[in-house]
Amino acid sequence: MTSRPRVLVIDDEPQILRALRTILGEKRFEVTTATRGEEGLARAAADPPDVIILDLGLPDMDGLTVIERLREWTQVPIIVLSVREADADKVAALDKGGDDYLTKPFSIEELLARIRVALRHDARMRGSLGETIVTAGPISIDLAQHSVLRNGEEVKLSATEFRLLAYLAANAGRVLTHRGILTTVWGPTEADHVEYLRVYVRQLRKKLEPDPERPQFVLTEPGVGYRFLADD
Amino acid sequence: MPTVSFTARVASRYVFATLAIGLTTALLYLWRSSLGTPLMALLYLLPVGLSTAYWGLGPGVLTAVWAFLAFNYFFIEPNFTLVVHRTEDTLVLLVFLVVAVVISQLVGRAQAGLAAAKAREREATRLYELSTAMAGLLDVQAIGRTLCEQVKSTFQADRVQLAATGGGPFPAPEVSLPPEAMSSPTAATLIAILQTARGQLGEIRLWRNSAPISNSEDRLLRTFASQGALALERAWLAEAEQRARVLEESDRLKSAVLSSVSHELRTPLATIKAAATSLRSGEIAWESAARAELLGAIDDESDHLNRLVGNLLDMSRIEAGALRPSRQWNLLQEIVGGVVERMRPLTGQHRLELDLPEDLPLIPVDYVQIEQVFTNLISNCLKYAPPRTVIGVIARPSGDGSLQVQVSNQGPPVPEQDLDRIFDKFYRITAADRVTGTGLGLSICKGIVEAHGGRIWAENLPVGFAFNFTLPMTWDGTPPPSLPPEAGPE
Repeated sequence: MTSRPRVLVIDDEPQILRALRTILGEKRFEVTTATRGEEGLARAAADPPDVIILDLGLPDMDGLTVIERLREWTQVPIIVLSVREADADKVAALDKGGDDYLTKPFSIEELLARIRVALRHDARMRGSLGETIVTAGPISIDLAQHSVLRNGEEVKLSATEFRLLAYLAANAGRVLTHRGILTTVWGPTEADHVEYLRVYVRQLRKKLEPDPERPQFVLTEPGVGYRFLADD
Repeated sequence: MPTVSFTARVASRYVFATLAIGLTTALLYLWRSSLGTPLMALLYLLPVGLSTAYWGLGPGVLTAVWAFLAFNYFFIEPNFTLVVHRTEDTLVLLVFLVVAVVISQLVGRAQAGLAAAKAREREATRLYELSTAMAGLLDVQAIGRTLCEQVKSTFQADRVQLAATGGGPFPAPEVSLPPEAMSSPTAATLIAILQTARGQLGEIRLWRNSAPISNSEDRLLRTFASQGALALERAWLAEAEQRARVLEESDRLKSAVLSSVSHELRTPLATIKAAATSLRSGEIAWESAARAELLGAIDDESDHLNRLVGNLLDMSRIEAGALRPSRQWNLLQEIVGGVVERMRPLTGQHRLELDLPEDLPLIPVDYVQIEQVFTNLISNCLKYAPPRTVIGVIARPSGDGSLQVQVSNQGPPVPEQDLDRIFDKFYRITAADRVTGTGLGLSICKGIVEAHGGRIWAENLPVGFAFNFTLPMTWDGTPPPSLPPEAGPE
């Protein structure tokens, strides 16, 4: 990765483009922009960026189509922007290969955090050996050894609980959709059984969170899925 | 056939008239020795008059002819012939015939006049009954039904049907009595059109086999039809007026909403504008507290604006009936936990107490929408309850298969008459300038809870005030699913 990560922003709102270009430029990103889906696809192909910020509401084509066309040839991280009224689109975008999402209006801290997570995850996927130990506050998860410590003490997890936690932790910082988690942990036939997730997440929180009623590490993304918050 | 056919009834009258003369003749024959010819002639007039009175003109005239023949045959010499020898007898017979015919004519005409008067009275009564029955009705279906019922009983009809035909301003309702057969293989006996000044609404069809339709009945059915048309038109006009009034009302409401909304939108905008311009002016020191304060105001007020726009969109979706919960099996503890965690920065002044039993079942709800219900109810409590008091959230399964949730606070009571109205749009008990918010939060809660098939209400507690709502625990009758078996601990 170069010292200045390249960001491609595809959004039809000139005000948003102007703000993002200014702010991300300040933060030492190299920013290119596109206002239409076709233009965005062409720019991504001509000069592959390190991360793409994609608004789902584009004038010429559906944001979901843009994701599909990108995923035909690249695994570049895609952060989806949407409005609150389009929850279903947001989930569809993530299930089609989007990496994360932000609901407009969002704060710049949130956007930078999402970009950071996406870049780090991407780097890990490219083969530079990922860390096998994930820590989050008092919790330490050893993905290779299948062991979980809380305040230094071993936590007993069932096989399914561990598979769930391991998947969340391996994707720390990223949003994971219900469908994605269910498919990975329980298998493709169980992809619609959100109730499994609800119950198992509750069990995990009871075993891991300092206050299970106010979780700090296994976070619910309303209507979308879950996100594991690890230490930076 | 329910009644004896009309022709049979008429024929029987002539038979009775003939029998009456037979009987009279037999009686006179028995006492012929003591009765003179003139007296017999007089006595024969009796059945003639009575027959006319009871059975009408035709049978009357028939009795007159029979009486003349019987009188001649049995009592005028030579007996048992129709031959008359004496001039005197011829005269008696002739006078008798004339008198008998005249009497029957006169009595018959009086009878007919009486019958006509009675028929007119009956018609008037029926019309009166019809108009009374339809007077209070404003529902077209009920009017159509009443009209058909009245026609059926008045005309002793076998079947009555009201059908929409023609291109009037609106169609007549489709009614059929008896209801089973909407279409009939045979043609209707009589049809009358429901006509108004605005066009033809439909027609009323009548089937009757027992007797042919008289002219007066035909006229009466037309009168019924025009009464029915008037009643239908009246109902239609009343409905149109009602619609116009609703439109006017919603127009008025819309401008109220617009003025309230533009006020609500401008307030945060004014703050943002003031803060941004003073930051740009260069007169605020770079590291000052004022600067942090202004930046915080911009951030908070833009969140406020965002919530406001979200609320407006939710409200319009609720009103358009477009708010469809996307249900999933969810845990209430998780939903409430998320809300409490997210609202933590706002709840510092109050103590939140959650009482959610560990064994609450999964509930089939839209996570995001129910989250919003809790957010709105808790922020309402934060707004009205004094600092350092308790806000409680309690959930319990209730007996009727639903989950009952209560969000309570220790704030001031709400006047009893306002308990229902606080869920109305833009309704506030406190003056709008003393609290912030859109005035939509509670009505959105109501819309969401009702879209889930639950209900929401408010009540005053001995100490404080509470919102209650119910949520279903089954999903179209299906109870919560069971979980797959777990492989033992790792």
